[in-house]
Amino acid sequence: MHEYSVNNLEFTLEGPLFAGPNGGQKAISINIADALGDAHVEGMRISDARLKSAAIFPNDSLGFTNVNAFVVAFASDNEDVSMQEAAVKNPLEVGATVANLEVSSDAELGEIMADGKVYVVLDADLAEDYWDGNRDFKLNFTLELTIK
Amino acid sequence: MLRKLTFLAVSAVIAFGTLSFDLPQQSEDPGDRLIGIWEPSNGRSRIKIDRIGNKYYGRVVWLIESNDADGNPRTDINNPNPDLRNVPLRGFRMCKDFVYQGDDQWSEGTLYDPNNGSTYQGTITMRDMNTLDMRGYIGVEAIGRTDVWKRLKMPSRKKK
Repeated sequence: MHEYSVNNLEFTLEGPLFAGPNGGQKAISINIADALGDAHVEGMRISDARLKSAAIFPNDSLGFTNVNAFVVAFASDNEDVSMQEAAVKNPLEVGATVANLEVSSDAELGEIMADGKVYVVLDADLAEDYWDGNRDFKLNFTLELTIK
Repeated sequence: MLRKLTFLAVSAVIAFGTLSFDLPQQSEDPGDRLIGIWEPSNGRSRIKIDRIGNKYYGRVVWLIESNDADGNPRTDINNPNPDLRNVPLRGFRMCKDFVYQGDDQWSEGTLYDPNNGSTYQGTITMRDMNTLDMRGYIGVEAIGRTDVWKRLKMPSRKKK
């Protein structure tokens, strides 16, 4: 089992934003050579992956104002693999400065990660419309990878 | 089973006040014609379809009954994964992983029924720019149920 962390993944929810769910997405590459270091051998692939932890931080002056909830999901271009929700924070406490998400231990992300390219999807549920610009957040998460 | 499938078209419809049509912006990818806000036939929800990578996903963006009996926002209480039963229904992706196949058809996706936590295979056929046939089935496509979704126009609101 190898831990693989992604930090400061920036999401911009582009305005105008409406009350309710608003989503952002980022494509990332999982570099298993980084996770394995000297143990990496060409041809190795991710066989299993679980989300260990995830936390969201505000990345603009608005903080978490009017944010009710967050959901983080992972998706792949592989037609045989379905998007998987993996973590949720609902409700988000008023005045919070960080959202530590509740992680689904049953979310099996191995097939999504297998090709290396992964779409990370962040959904923020807003209490009110926001017409004056974008909302920016940062996501940190750690995966537990089984690599063979 | 057919009764269960009814939910599909069922639980996912929406309406932004009056029903009107909004043609999407021009895109070079014909599959992107699916992008927009759609209303299932029962009018109880509205679904926004977006693209992530090369697939299309539909999120619930409006529910006629957004709160439970206690006045709290409804969550996905029937999800077979207990860890995800706290996910808000408003915002839930009930359509996942649809891939454009050409000839106005998207398939390989799934439709989720939050009323019972069941997931069905799905096929989408675009009759015209403002009308979709959403078909949910288990195993054999011939045995399933089709709901008709209509494209909705985003409300035009003045900036405060």
